[in-house]
Amino acid sequence: MGDTLMIIVVIGLSAVLMFIFPLMTMSDRTDDVSQLTVNTATTEFVDNVITTGKLTLDKYSKFVENISSTGNTYDVEMELKVLDENPGKKTTQSVDTRIGENVYYSKYTSQILDELSDDTPIILLKEGDVFIASAKNKNPTMSQQFKNFFYSVTGNDTYTIAAEHAGIVSVTGSNYD
Amino acid sequence: MRIQDLAVIFIIIILPISLVLSSYTQNQVKTLSLQISYDNKLNNATYDALKAFKLNTLNSSTSNMANSKLKDIEASINTFFNSIASNFNMAGYNKDVLKHYVPALVYTMYDGYYIYSPYKNTLTDSEKAKSETLPDGEKLYGLKPYIYYSCRYKGTSNSKNYDVVITYALDNYITVQGIIDGTAVYKYGYLLDNIGGDYTNNGNSGKDITYRGIEIKEETLQEYIDKDNKLTYVKINGTKYYTEDNGNTWYYYLNGDKMQQVGAKYKTINEEGKQYYKEAYDFTKWIRDNLGDLNAKNAVDEKGNSLLDEQGNLKFGTYNIFDFGGKDSQEGSIEDADSNFNQHRLAVIRYSIEKNLSVAIANYNRYTTTISANFQMPKLEEDEWTKIINNVSIISFLQGLNIGGKVYNGYSIITNTENEEVVRDDAIYLVEADDLNDTGNYYRPTDTSLDNSKNYLGVLNLDFERRSRLKDDGSEMYFFPKKQLGSYTSIVNNFVSEETQDFYKYIDGKGENIAKAYYTALGRERYGMYRVNNLQVNEINKND
Repeated sequence: MGDTLMIIVVIGLSAVLMFIFPLMTMSDRTDDVSQLTVNTATTEFVDNVITTGKLTLDKYSKFVENISSTGNTYDVEMELKVLDENPGKKTTQSVDTRIGENVYYSKYTSQILDELSDDTPIILLKEGDVFIASAKNKNPTMSQQFKNFFYSVTGNDTYTIAAEHAGIVSVTGSNYD
Repeated sequence: MRIQDLAVIFIIIILPISLVLSSYTQNQVKTLSLQISYDNKLNNATYDALKAFKLNTLNSSTSNMANSKLKDIEASINTFFNSIASNFNMAGYNKDVLKHYVPALVYTMYDGYYIYSPYKNTLTDSEKAKSETLPDGEKLYGLKPYIYYSCRYKGTSNSKNYDVVITYALDNYITVQGIIDGTAVYKYGYLLDNIGGDYTNNGNSGKDITYRGIEIKEETLQEYIDKDNKLTYVKINGTKYYTEDNGNTWYYYLNGDKMQQVGAKYKTINEEGKQYYKEAYDFTKWIRDNLGDLNAKNAVDEKGNSLLDEQGNLKFGTYNIFDFGGKDSQEGSIEDADSNFNQHRLAVIRYSIEKNLSVAIANYNRYTTTISANFQMPKLEEDEWTKIINNVSIISFLQGLNIGGKVYNGYSIITNTENEEVVRDDAIYLVEADDLNDTGNYYRPTDTSLDNSKNYLGVLNLDFERRSRLKDDGSEMYFFPKKQLGSYTSIVNNFVSEETQDFYKYIDGKGENIAKAYYTALGRERYGMYRVNNLQVNEINKND
């Protein structure tokens, strides 16, 4: 009886050691690689937008496609801080020794995507605007699922793959080059 | 063997593999993150350099002159190295060390470009000035001479033998120098189709000159020279001349100092827009008559041999470069983005930059002794070339830094669409012509809220930028030459449809008043640009 119990425990342990442990390690590595892919894709996307001054539906779709190739689904968030120089200009016009303050107002993912409709698939940014994009995984990755199963440290809502990049637009966009 | 033993053996095998794999992946992640962060730093430094160039040129009234421009570019290079040094300081690199990792910086301008890279002082002791302390053969960093976007052609056109060099620019302006039919020629101007009107001897329409069927007329221009005073002005050869007494006396600002213009008067009614189209018509006609059959296959190198690519084929192919369209036809015009002329112009610009830049970077290996990396010109993507050849830009290279596991080889291209070098097609904004107190808005011509039943006036985008000047008491004042505020539908925010890509056609579709304001301003601003060889405009604009 004691031996049988022992064998069952050992088989269980062996299964964990021989299958689950390598699987966990490998899924951890997969997450690392996914993290790298998402990081690179986000940086490339933002850098492309800020150095061309152009945000197009094509670029956005390509970015989402790139990060989805890691096999996970992602929450993509964008923020566009639009520089409004008009308040500063008004200040200078009333007192000519003052530069005045520029104001930024923000547009978020849903507003940006609304503007990027089929009728107007291009948003032209101007020098001084700030563009931010971030991506977080929505579904629990395999490594997260294992960790949840064993030590329940991570909740279902937490993410393990996340990347964010931001930059100031360096050129006023033009639609014909 | 018991199952426990198997498990132990399995762990012994799998554990090191997993550890090594994990550390390898981590290393790769680190290398790539480092590469991304270096790319970022390089981008930022290049942007700083461009911003410095823009600010310096905008606030200097002599920035068009070659030596003043050189000074501005050198200041911009200094900004680049300062910026990159402060970005990299955390990584332990300072300005002097980083200099060795930058094989070249390129400044592309209106009709040519500068390359900043090291060269050897070739002056021997007997040749150099006495005050010069540099030894012969010393490695120096500096700007190499300006290289034009030019190409030499040799052949027969319109049954005339020619051997000419054509210099292209970021717009339709070309300069032709050389020999046609045994006569030396030096001609320059804009190539434009679609010019009509009485000037072209094409009927008696009562319209002096038209472009794309729209009559171009005179204008009166006014702008602020400080917070309150708005004066009539005329822009000639890059300098704005102002008058307070209806054209009797004129003055200009030379880096903040008010200078009286002696012995010259200008018309207060501005005809530069018309003049631009008239001269473009004459020049285009001359090209049609003399070089109309110029073929891309006749492009030759400095020795007179045909230009070939690596495979031995003709570098630019075989086609007529000047593919003129009809008058007012608006189809197949030479100014279209996809015309042979434009395609050839871009190919020449790209070929020139590519050739000289790869030589400069490859040569860098000869100058560097401290770094073992092999410097090579990276292959630039097509869309990056499009950015470079259509804009004023800075291209920076940073190579040879160790980023763990591999050597960093990065470059950054930052372009600028708002500068005094070139008047781009989209550099003209519109204001309402009746807005005499400048209280309204300014718009891009693509703005959907523009109303063709109103009258508009075209203004160069730079005139909406903040300027500064010293007051008499030494304090600095700021002002805007044009006080209108940016429209929220096209300046502050701007989302556009794809059809705006065909800019001229889109403008035509906006209606006559809008198109007229746009084309007149485009002509006027291009005509008023500084050029080494257009001094004759003074005479044309003189009041009798």
